[in-house]
Amino acid sequence: MSKSGKENKKKSGMKKKLTLGRVMMYVLLIIAAFIFAAPMLFTVLSSLKTKVEIFQEPFGLPEVIQWGNYIEAWTEANMGVYFVNSIIQSLATVILLAVVSTMAAYVLARFDFKCNKFLMLFFTLGMMVPMHTVLVPISYLISALSLKNNIPALILIYTAFSLPFSIIVVTSFMKGVNRSLEEAALIDGASYFQIYKNVMLPMTVPAISTISIFNFLSAWNNILFPLLFINDKKLKPVALGLLNFNGERGSDYGPLMAAIVITVAFPLILYLLFQEKVEGGLAAGAVKE
Amino acid sequence: MGIFLFIVPALLIYIVFQIIPIIGSVFFSLVDWNGIAGSKITFVGIKNYIDAFHDPDVLLSLKNMAKMVIVSVLFHTPIALLMAVAINAKCKCYRLFKALFFVPTVFPLTAVGLMWYFIFMPTGALNALLENIGLGSLVTSWLVNEATAMNTIVFVNVWAGVGYYMVILLAGLTTIPEDLYEAASIDGATPVQQFFQITIPNLKPIISMCVMMDIIGSVKVFDLVFAMTQGGPNGLTNLPTTLMYNEAFKYSHYGLGSAIGILIMVICTVATFASNFVSTKIEKDD
Repeated sequence: MSKSGKENKKKSGMKKKLTLGRVMMYVLLIIAAFIFAAPMLFTVLSSLKTKVEIFQEPFGLPEVIQWGNYIEAWTEANMGVYFVNSIIQSLATVILLAVVSTMAAYVLARFDFKCNKFLMLFFTLGMMVPMHTVLVPISYLISALSLKNNIPALILIYTAFSLPFSIIVVTSFMKGVNRSLEEAALIDGASYFQIYKNVMLPMTVPAISTISIFNFLSAWNNILFPLLFINDKKLKPVALGLLNFNGERGSDYGPLMAAIVITVAFPLILYLLFQEKVEGGLAAGAVKE
Repeated sequence: MGIFLFIVPALLIYIVFQIIPIIGSVFFSLVDWNGIAGSKITFVGIKNYIDAFHDPDVLLSLKNMAKMVIVSVLFHTPIALLMAVAINAKCKCYRLFKALFFVPTVFPLTAVGLMWYFIFMPTGALNALLENIGLGSLVTSWLVNEATAMNTIVFVNVWAGVGYYMVILLAGLTTIPEDLYEAASIDGATPVQQFFQITIPNLKPIISMCVMMDIIGSVKVFDLVFAMTQGGPNGLTNLPTTLMYNEAFKYSHYGLGSAIGILIMVICTVATFASNFVSTKIEKDD
């Protein structure tokens, strides 16, 4: 609590009064900060310790830093391969979604077809479908069409599930884009495809980056579909790989902790680099009404 | 008219991988099938649904789900709101606190679940800490003990989600005009009064949206349980989602699995419409 006292002194010295309310707020924040930091700190510390050290003193420092845990996780436990797989699968999903959803959104935002309202509703309904509802039919599809370990099929499933959200976000953004540039391009004789590619896409970049962050994290974090699709060690994504590593060698605590750190590393870096953008992207998930 | 082709790829992916599987799911919930393509599929009507409602495992999973939903709703938004208000009081470490509380929401829940698993397992960090500080009497197998297993998972779900609602509420807080607070403090309103008279009424739509998302999110929790207990011991910590997975893919009860899958969708849909109804009603009352 000494920390909170210091903070408060600084504050009160500046301008605001040291009220009981403010003290309580800081106490609350410090307690919350501890509850949030502790498990993450424990994991990182443990990833650098020997098996014996980890649970003797959970928050003690390692005697010798065990980088070997990371090497073991990365190579022997195959986390390196899983990590690269996740990057490939998530990026492919992001790109496919960006292309497909902006194309659809362009039609929905700019052209007055009679069925547009219906299509919009049709896509919106998809957001209410929980993944678990379609697992059995999807596993049937996998076995009937021999799609086991078929990465493009996995990416199409990810895409299908992120499509409603992506289309809704991009369409509502495109509706707000000024039409004058497109009209000018149309008068100059540009085709709709040229307008989409050269006018609409560049103006939609903010919405595309929003959905891309959301879609990337959704794909990176998903284990349900990989559980059904993938049993080949060379193709597993990192979250599933981590789970299997724990299942196979559940008492190799040091390397397991290192594997957890490897699994969260990419989302963490993404967040630290683009803090506001990631928060905005995930909060955009709030359109899921 | 050719422009309409632009929407075809999206429509195709969506129909093939989402709409057809939903219809398929209704179909599979009405049949008996062992999961091997080409083997016999017998139509059994609503038997799977009747079985589901007589199955103690299903009933227990529904009870666990109710606990997950209620506890999450009671804790997520209120704690998130307190945190948002505290952070928003222009404290120096605004960004640090915000990042710390939000960061678990970008992690795979599998990793979050395992992180906590090593804390709660019998020889884990929590029990070691309890021993070290002389509270050895509290030591228990958190994820095995009937009294603590589900509560422990519910706690981790609260931990993992609170930052998300905090960020949404923080965005809402910035839309409340500063002069409302200034006027109130000139009139002598205390910060607590301001919180109840200004902050909460202005955030009402966002709060109700958070609660609604939370209900649906809690019904769909899967990864956490799967990483921490896989629904065990003896199905004690199963949610409908994990039970569905286990029934279908561990025990090859595809019909029952599908029926639970449809049940999950019905629960989510009803929750969506119900909370939509309630929140429009709340807004109208203002």
